[in-house]
Amino acid sequence: MVQYQATLDRSFGALADPTRRAILLRLGRHADASITELAVVFEMTLTGLKKHVQVLEEAGLVATEKVGRVRHVRLGPRRLEDVTKWITSYRTMLEQRLDHLEDFLERTKGTP
Amino acid sequence: MNQAATEMKAKISTPSDREIRIERVFNAPRERVWKALTDPALIAQWWGRGNKLVIERMEHQRGGHWRFVEHGPEGAQGFEGRYREVVAPERVVQTFQWDGMPGHVAVETMTLEDLGDGRTKLVAVSMFHTTEERDGMLHSGMDQGVHQSYAALDRVLAGLGAGGR
Repeated sequence: MVQYQATLDRSFGALADPTRRAILLRLGRHADASITELAVVFEMTLTGLKKHVQVLEEAGLVATEKVGRVRHVRLGPRRLEDVTKWITSYRTMLEQRLDHLEDFLERTKGTP
Repeated sequence: MNQAATEMKAKISTPSDREIRIERVFNAPRERVWKALTDPALIAQWWGRGNKLVIERMEHQRGGHWRFVEHGPEGAQGFEGRYREVVAPERVVQTFQWDGMPGHVAVETMTLEDLGDGRTKLVAVSMFHTTEERDGMLHSGMDQGVHQSYAALDRVLAGLGAGGR
């Protein structure tokens, strides 16, 4: 049970970052992606993205595999529990929306 | 993390294992924030998170349905629910479902508080349920694993509330 708790702690730690949550969300909708593709989508350097993927991989949330010169990332053996996944997805989306609302309000300042 | 900066930006907490509470302070008067949250022409400009948004349905009154569809590079994603309470310009209670996670629903309560200095505090409290529970068919009890993952999630979120946004 202690071991189980430690694994959970690691996966929630991995989930504490919005980029990592977004990576999982994306991998949930697509079968897999290469590191390069993810770096483009998330507008990050390869090195930065690799670090995030590494944290997710250590938590068992993603698995990576090198095919030729390309490293592929897919959801790992420790899938998120359904409810947790729902709350994580929801929270990520709500925060993104509120960020965009904030930008919108800034952009339209001075209008009634 | 600078507490004042966090205070300005956002606060996240988990009042119970089924709830997330997010506070955001916007540098805009309450009427403007209310309009951005409730006028379809304005919602279309931010709700889609940078994606094109199609508002298929928006009956903005108690019992009314809403359905928004985001059209992004990865395809379309639909979101929908019903309004439970609409009190201008301060409060909306609605259900929220995402096509991507069928069987799950959040009940969102958004409250706008006029801070009196041209800023507005938005408090979003979201309660998470499965649709079965919402429909009144409560499970006899959640299994241990779910309890534990909530407890772990709570700890992470509590940590985030102090530092992240």
